[in-house]
Amino acid sequence: MGRIASRKKQPHPGQFDKYQHTGYKFISPSLLVMVLLIVYPMLYGVYLSFYNTNLVNKWKFVGLKYYIEAFTKPEFYTSVLLTFLFMILVVAGHFLIGFILASVLNKSFSGRTIFRVIFMLPWLFPETVIALLFTWIMNPMYGILNSILKSLGIISSNISWLGSASLAFPAVVAVCIWKGYPLVMTMILSGLQSISSDLYEAAMIDGANKWQQFLHVTVPGLKPVMTTTIILDSVWWFKQYTLVYTMTGGGPGTATNLISLNIYGTAFNDLRFGKAAAWGIVVFAICYLISKLYRMVLKDD
Amino acid sequence: MTKKKVAGGILRYVFLITLSLFILVPVLWMVSTAFKTEAETYSPNPIWIPSTISLESFKKFFGLYNFGTMTWNSLITCIGSVLICTAFSCLAGYGVTRFKFRGKKTFMGFLLVTQMFPSVMLVVPFYSVLTKYHLTNSLLGLIIVYAATNIAFSTWMMTSYFKTIPVELDEAARVDGASSFTIFRKIILPLVIPGIAAVAIFVLINGWNEYMYSSVLISKDSLKTLTVGIVSLNTQNQVHWNDMMAASTMSCIPLIILFMCFQKYFIAGMTSGAVKS
Repeated sequence: MGRIASRKKQPHPGQFDKYQHTGYKFISPSLLVMVLLIVYPMLYGVYLSFYNTNLVNKWKFVGLKYYIEAFTKPEFYTSVLLTFLFMILVVAGHFLIGFILASVLNKSFSGRTIFRVIFMLPWLFPETVIALLFTWIMNPMYGILNSILKSLGIISSNISWLGSASLAFPAVVAVCIWKGYPLVMTMILSGLQSISSDLYEAAMIDGANKWQQFLHVTVPGLKPVMTTTIILDSVWWFKQYTLVYTMTGGGPGTATNLISLNIYGTAFNDLRFGKAAAWGIVVFAICYLISKLYRMVLKDD
Repeated sequence: MTKKKVAGGILRYVFLITLSLFILVPVLWMVSTAFKTEAETYSPNPIWIPSTISLESFKKFFGLYNFGTMTWNSLITCIGSVLICTAFSCLAGYGVTRFKFRGKKTFMGFLLVTQMFPSVMLVVPFYSVLTKYHLTNSLLGLIIVYAATNIAFSTWMMTSYFKTIPVELDEAARVDGASSFTIFRKIILPLVIPGIAAVAIFVLINGWNEYMYSSVLISKDSLKTLTVGIVSLNTQNQVHWNDMMAASTMSCIPLIILFMCFQKYFIAGMTSGAVKS
């Protein structure tokens, strides 16, 4: 995505050189908002990260203590590892379901629009609503999930999905896959539609079978879209907070204590704002590295 | 051959219908619960169609829980941030695609990097900075925060729309002596209206669904937004699931209607940038 600027030539290379200052005028409102409201708060966060502070009456300079702790104390890095596992499972789920649905919905058949709308629904629902809805569905006493599974003979007694340390994590992952796949599906769908049918015809003339067509036409054609989607999806779900917080609050114990929940709790429950700020910056660095890594791996040959 | 095709077609419908059950069952369960009485909500055997359709939970939505005010707050916040984001991102998108200036690459790269910021990382500084300027417990503060968190992606989306408009249009107008701003406003802007719609919808959805900033920055009941209000029902001593599902249903309806009307722009909003670049 950012690569475009550097890789491709700008579409209108500098024919308005004398209007250089005009360019600044046009971007200034946007830039100003970002500098005042993203860069300044971020730098303020960096400043906070060197202090042991509750933002009110305690300001003790601690230097790099919190950054060092992040790598030496398990409370941070176990949470980061859990978040990585969460991210990998959720993104893999999104791509699996997204890809299957996109390739089915890419063909034309009657009723396609209805199915497209149905499969888009989860994207339209607020994360808080989805979290509450599935908490209700997974309710150990009155939840519909238990009664459906019981009537199918899969389980024999009620299960407390979100109350069990071993089931809460997979349950949360499943809900997050449910919420997030429509975005991936839509991205892949529009990627598929951007591949010219001539390419398939040419491949067919060359005697390529369905699998070979997929491998040599579909996959390379989808690569640009996939790169962007996988980066955004990974980063977005690495930062996930609302859904998981509303469903489990990070529990039971620390079973679903993703790093965002951990940081939030450190700040607003323990009132250790400096520590939370330092960890936030480490998470930012991780997200940045994820995107770099993907770009290196998925780079065009 | 034809037989095989028919079988394939049937198989496709079976497959799609089976998968759509995973979406529809939860959604219908939400709607069904919303219309139940307290007694039927907590029936040991699940009841799909309530024996008496109860509107009690919906009455409470407007009465007891005062969600009308919260819906209003959400709406105001969304509209405010949509206005800021669309206006600023149009200007920036035009500037980036039409003019050459130093630091453009840095600016575009910066837009992307802001996507990496964990919102929890910004929430602490936001809280602290906004407290300083007395903008916590204020819808204006929330509007500013939503605009700030969405402006980067909006600008990026608008840029990809402006790229599709040929620069020759600008040049022709420039020969006629029009100023840059006039060209932007009178000639180019009307051509990117679909892009503006996509950005507006994107920002609107994000605002409508946002929870974390709102829960941290607003503590006054009269200023709470809808998402925070609904979640707060979950933390009360006695949880009324039928009321909560009614509120959830209500909060989804505006977005679903919006989706029905502007389906094309929705998809465009989600995929722009990614596909075009």
